[in-house]
Amino acid sequence: MRLGRYELTLEPRPAVSAVYTVLTAVVAILLALALSSFLFLSADASLLGAYRAVFSYAFFNPRGILATVQRAIYLLFCTYAFLVPLRAGLWNIGLPGQVFAGALAAFAVPFVLRAQEQTLTIPPGLVILLMVAAAAAAGAMLGGFAGLLRARLQVNEILVTMMLNSILFWLVAYMIKEGGPFMGATAEGEGFTLPAPLTAPLLRGVPFTAALALGAAVLLDLLFAKTALGYRIRAFGENPAAARYGGISPVALSLLVFLLGGAFAGLAGYHAFTAVPGVYKIPGNYGFYGDLAFYGIISALIARGSAVGAVPIAVLFAGLSLGARFAQGALHLPFGVDYALLGLLMMTFIASHALYQFRLAWRRVPSEVLQPAPTELPEG
Amino acid sequence: MPLTLPADRAPTEPILAARGITKRFPGVLALDHVDFEVQAGDVHAVLGQNGAGKTTLMNILFGLVQPDEGALYLRGQRVHFRSPHDAIAQGIGMVHQTRRLVAAHTVLENIVLGHPRVRGFLNLRGARREVETLCNRYGFTVDLGARVWQLSEGERQWVEILKALYGGAKILILDEPTSVLTPPEVKTLLAGLQALVRDRGVTVLLVTHKLPVVMAASHRVTVFRSGSVVARLRTGEATEEILVQHMIGREVAFRTADRSAEAGRPLLHVEQVSAFNDRGLLALRDLSFSLRAGEVLGVAGVTGNGQEELAQVLAGLRPVTSGKVRFADRDVTHLSPLERWRMGVGYIPAERIEVASIAAFSLVENTALNYHFDPAFTPRGLLDDAGLDQLTRRILSAYNVKAPHQYARARHLSGGNLQRLILGRVLSRRPRLLIAHLPTQGLDVEATAFVRAKLLDARAEGAAVLLISEDLDEILSLSDWVAPIYEGRFVAVLLREQADSETVGAMMAGLQKEAGAR
Repeated sequence: MRLGRYELTLEPRPAVSAVYTVLTAVVAILLALALSSFLFLSADASLLGAYRAVFSYAFFNPRGILATVQRAIYLLFCTYAFLVPLRAGLWNIGLPGQVFAGALAAFAVPFVLRAQEQTLTIPPGLVILLMVAAAAAAGAMLGGFAGLLRARLQVNEILVTMMLNSILFWLVAYMIKEGGPFMGATAEGEGFTLPAPLTAPLLRGVPFTAALALGAAVLLDLLFAKTALGYRIRAFGENPAAARYGGISPVALSLLVFLLGGAFAGLAGYHAFTAVPGVYKIPGNYGFYGDLAFYGIISALIARGSAVGAVPIAVLFAGLSLGARFAQGALHLPFGVDYALLGLLMMTFIASHALYQFRLAWRRVPSEVLQPAPTELPEG
Repeated sequence: MPLTLPADRAPTEPILAARGITKRFPGVLALDHVDFEVQAGDVHAVLGQNGAGKTTLMNILFGLVQPDEGALYLRGQRVHFRSPHDAIAQGIGMVHQTRRLVAAHTVLENIVLGHPRVRGFLNLRGARREVETLCNRYGFTVDLGARVWQLSEGERQWVEILKALYGGAKILILDEPTSVLTPPEVKTLLAGLQALVRDRGVTVLLVTHKLPVVMAASHRVTVFRSGSVVARLRTGEATEEILVQHMIGREVAFRTADRSAEAGRPLLHVEQVSAFNDRGLLALRDLSFSLRAGEVLGVAGVTGNGQEELAQVLAGLRPVTSGKVRFADRDVTHLSPLERWRMGVGYIPAERIEVASIAAFSLVENTALNYHFDPAFTPRGLLDDAGLDQLTRRILSAYNVKAPHQYARARHLSGGNLQRLILGRVLSRRPRLLIAHLPTQGLDVEATAFVRAKLLDARAEGAAVLLISEDLDEILSLSDWVAPIYEGRFVAVLLREQADSETVGAMMAGLQKEAGAR
């Protein structure tokens, strides 16, 4: 763009410092909040009051904090589920399907053991362990299916995982609605409620899945930074032909990252439906969790593939979506204000990426370009 | 035959000139104060080896690359191209080495795509009339309704030329236009270009490293060598020998194979191997040979006769349809690339950027590409960062890789430095079988001599070397055995003493077929 004697250009930034990375993220958050003031215009409170309602519920209200933590754990597992295949250059869009598979498998364990009808003979701790393992295995199987098709037959993993989402969505519907095997006692389109001893143990209201999620963040970053396997995944993601040349097997690797990613999504399913107090069943609105799972994609992309970096982002997404939902009820805000806020955050983060990699620069236009005048040729 | 310039054409004011152009890329000086000018109505050949700077200069003339120093003058006036848009607006068109067309669209749609007048609405009927007029004027026959994917490579090139002319180009830059064409297509292209120049006053800049093209089709020639202009000649006054001298520069003392070395025991046996290429055509046909430790087998041939497939079959990257590969007394036909690396096969692919390196990775991480499976560098599954760092620094110094430091990204290395890194990395594994495919392609003279010396060192240390090259001199100076390859078969396997360039050259062209396989 040219303005008078100056022009505005977009130039790639050379090296970017860590401080700057954090700064762009903060600016993106502030910008999203500023833009969201339009959403709060119709609120029963002042603008400041609306913001206060959002934040105080999400991060300062004891109930709200717990809800934020629960949702952040869920989002984190979904983030890993997308992030691991992404590092190998593959796109796991099957988060909802893998979440549902994990949930179904987790509930299948007490179902098979008839735990909801009679008292158990095996210790509940073992059953919980089995549920976790089943959830991870089911998610992994579903992911691995897409990975295998991709590796062996070059079938596009995005299409396969998307279609599996639909299949699993309706499979859950079949399982929990009237007449389905997992039907709840009230037959109101919900799954059966987990017996209290089989719910995930809590420490100060926080389930043990929190430790799994945080531990996984550290382990994943170590995997990519320090191990030979992580190196292979990254090499394959950056240049599949070079990876193959270097002896890395594309088939094994595609399968592996999808198994691992699917397992994380399965854990997200376990967490959402068996570890969050007040849920402990597959609810009728389970589709909501499927939609929420996609925020794992965004947080993985914003965190640039770093699992630890995704932790604050997942907490922020969780807190703001819950806070906005709370404010919606308390201040009679328009319906869907929570999703609108997430959407705004997403847009400002993505916009900040452009500014992270490029900068706007004013340059003086050389005068000879502005006034082309015949000149004597210098001797060459 | 060289074209003659009209007698009355004194050196006039150049239509396009570049003065004092300097361009640096990280680690390389691509152009060093280059002065370059083109006379209107010429076919001006720009000659030079790969990496001489000719493509960089053309990209500057077309606005794709901004020079660090220097200025461009168009018809005597200073111009400043910030992007190809500016260059196109001033009547400069460029046809790149690789096609930039939308394969699923028709010829006409491709031609009007991106034209300044096409904004929002497509007036295809009007455009068709205009393009047809253009075709008639220049004598092109191309079906405007055909889809681009249906066209041959030569026709696609014409579509791009037409597109440039439709965009109003008066100066046409063609980057290596003959590299993908068959000989008849080359003839058609050159004849067409001459007609454009003769009848329509278009000025053509022909970038090439092929002497016959220069001699057959240009009026003037500018020769580039390592970032500088070394000669400006009228083609009529030049000979191929003179041009070669300018292109190559001084004589470089290349080491040649020392034939006193005792060849070792047979290491590699290839028996009746056939394999498909990526398009599903048979690229290797019952190819057989064997190779002993401490020997160099030079595979000489024109690209596309199965060389790449042969290298990939030996590296385990391409399955065979029939036949057997035995290496170190073991049938390796179905072993994976990883298992072959472990057995001591080392492979230097022709595609440095696409296959042999990872642009976004640091040099240390690129070194790891050949070490991530090595127990010595992966204790308990962890990458030995310190060990790899040390190894990389050793390679950088032993192979004269010019890089700021070992954590620079591979994308910032020039082709020659990248090749030194790849060579050093592969040779540091001390392979028993080394497959080197076009190892000196695009390298400057010093780097070429260096790479060749290293290949001979590997041979002296007892490696069996399969050298695949298009450069006959390279083959003849390094090999113990010479195998001209033609259409997926070795025409013969000759002892170096029996191989002279005429015989081998004729065999490479498929002229002489003799059963001489050993």
